[in-house]
Amino acid sequence: MDDMRIVERTVNTKASKISAKGVQVHYGATHALKDVDVEILENTVTAFIGPSGCGKSTFLRCLNRMNDTIPSCRVDGSITLDGENIYDPRVDPVRLRARVGMVFQKPNPFPKSIYDNVAYGPKIHGLARTKAELDEIVETSLRKAALWNEAKDRLASPGTGLSGGQQQRLCIARAIATSPEVLLMDEPCSALDPIATAQVEELIDELRASFSVVIVTHSMQQAARVSQKTAFFHLGNLVEYGETGQVFTTPQDPRTEAYITGRIG
Amino acid sequence: MTVFLLLCLMLVLAVAAFVVCRARALALSGGKIGVLHSLPGYYGWHGAIMVLLPGLAVLLVWLVVQPMVIESRISATLPAELTADDSARALAMADVRRLAAGLDVAIAAGSVTVDASGTPQIAGSGTMREALAEAGVALAEDVSPQILTAAQAYRGLSATGAAWRALAVLAAALAGFALAVRMTEPELRARNRVEGVVEGLLMAASTIAILTTVGIVWSMLSETFNFFSMYPAADFFFGLTWSPNFRGDSELGFIPLLWGTLYISLISMLVAVPIGLFAAIYLAEYASPAVRGWVKPLIEVIAGIPTVVFGLFALVTVGPLLRDYFAEPLGLGNSGSSVMTAGIVIGILNIPFISSLADDIINAVPQALRDGSYGLGATKSETVRQVIIPAALPGIVGAVLLAASRAIGETMIVSMGAGAAAKLDLNPFEAMTTMTVKIVGQLTGDTDFASPETLVAFALGMTLFVITLGLNILALYVVRKYREQYE
Repeated sequence: MDDMRIVERTVNTKASKISAKGVQVHYGATHALKDVDVEILENTVTAFIGPSGCGKSTFLRCLNRMNDTIPSCRVDGSITLDGENIYDPRVDPVRLRARVGMVFQKPNPFPKSIYDNVAYGPKIHGLARTKAELDEIVETSLRKAALWNEAKDRLASPGTGLSGGQQQRLCIARAIATSPEVLLMDEPCSALDPIATAQVEELIDELRASFSVVIVTHSMQQAARVSQKTAFFHLGNLVEYGETGQVFTTPQDPRTEAYITGRIG
Repeated sequence: MTVFLLLCLMLVLAVAAFVVCRARALALSGGKIGVLHSLPGYYGWHGAIMVLLPGLAVLLVWLVVQPMVIESRISATLPAELTADDSARALAMADVRRLAAGLDVAIAAGSVTVDASGTPQIAGSGTMREALAEAGVALAEDVSPQILTAAQAYRGLSATGAAWRALAVLAAALAGFALAVRMTEPELRARNRVEGVVEGLLMAASTIAILTTVGIVWSMLSETFNFFSMYPAADFFFGLTWSPNFRGDSELGFIPLLWGTLYISLISMLVAVPIGLFAAIYLAEYASPAVRGWVKPLIEVIAGIPTVVFGLFALVTVGPLLRDYFAEPLGLGNSGSSVMTAGIVIGILNIPFISSLADDIINAVPQALRDGSYGLGATKSETVRQVIIPAALPGIVGAVLLAASRAIGETMIVSMGAGAAAKLDLNPFEAMTTMTVKIVGQLTGDTDFASPETLVAFALGMTLFVITLGLNILALYVVRKYREQYE
């Protein structure tokens, strides 16, 4: 408990990693996200909560420009990563996504072996010069994702043959193998059973030591368990953003309180 | 009663059974449909099926058995000199059938009348042959009295048979009707029984397709055996010369034809697979919906062009072009028809085939896999190469295989673009030919089904069948081994 409080306090002193100012997103004629300002800190887990369709996943996908793959989507405002605007025409979205990794709602391992799944990112970005270096990256990533002990004897078997929770941890290992600076997670536990969820949550807390983690979740308990900062979205607006403990115990906005106590959603 | 009339009658009975059974089910339910096991409509369908199924079964059996019974009875009455051996008997029976059919027409037309005893009388003067000719029935020779008697007996038996047939079929249908009405109780599982009939119907449809294939193979197999009893198999499979003639000293080595077939197919696949696959990748991964909406139908237009038109294109455009700008300057010959011409044109023919199928298969790869790859910072082409193509591989191999079978089986473009000379040559600008072209060549015109020059077509067909079968098995193996299964 004591330890937790120390962690909570050190958050305030951390530097900003991603800074979003006045972000607007339109899907065709739909105004999906209205004027969102968020600072995402280094080595911190930030949770985005809110009812379905509130724009939290949309905002998450803005942070690594995954929305670029949707033709009707338009993003305005500024999002900076280490002070550099990621929507600047000189920024290559492909390079950006190597720095800002992503884990999806449904585990989506490639139909390849476990080894090749993890080695995919390092290979396309040329992170390993030799087979030994690649082996090293795969092992470290699988260890960080708490999958090494289960997978080390079956690295050559297909990743699709793992259980749901193992698949999701494989996807996390795959994302951290490219050594990103930020890890985005879009409801990473919604397709998992409670035991697998607990494992992934534990993992998220450990990952905080090396990355900034941003997690979208429908479960408020999960947000309270894993995050230090929480942002509450409602109908495309960022309603409240602050320390997780403060948001859940003394929310400033009546809408946040209504959502947390289960009156809207 | 004709078969058509019988079928109509059965249909009327079936409709009646539907209405009666449905009404009975409704009446038994007493206004509460929940009492019934199935919806009232199912009781109706059950009734209709109970009428149609036994009726059709009896009709089918009768249609098969009746001609056999009549034939054996009639041929027993024919004089011995007409039924000396099997082929003479078949000939005489054919005469009897033709005359019987002719008499039916002539009686309907009035040029022949029937007297009280049922014996046909010529209405006008002249012979029976002239009377029949008047009614539009042409006979090769005049009618012998024995055949006329047999034909008369044939007509009589057929008429009696038809009457009994109608009786039997209607009896079966009516029995089914009565049974269906009696069975219509609230506890009757009408829905499950109807479902069973539907399943049987679907199964029969698939069985027919399989049986047809077996039939085709069987018919080719017997003629192939005939061929190999006349011509040594070793000479056929290993002979390097193809020069059939009807003097009796033909050389029927199939190696030159196999070589031509494989060479042309190879060139066509070298054209079709890369272009078709790249077109599919462009359409599925890169093109905007608007572009896709235009380009896809335009590519598919090619698939609708008859192959003979492609043959013309090969003959008048591609052939001379290749000869004038490639073959002659390179000193590779001056033949207008060549392996290259046919190969390229068949390749063009197969582009829409591969692109259209591969496009559908690539589209079926889940979006989640693309997102996963893009989310790791992969570019589009890396994603296509390393994630999408491996996932879509089984389907793509299937599409390529289908195109390969088409290329191997293509006849028209080859005969117009590559010529008909069976040659063993490496030069792609030489005229060569394929097995399919030679099958057509050996079977058209005056053919003698007792000579190896004609029967070789069946051996070629059988070999072609085995080659494509082998190709299919190979592809299945490749797909099993290398596929990356998603989901």
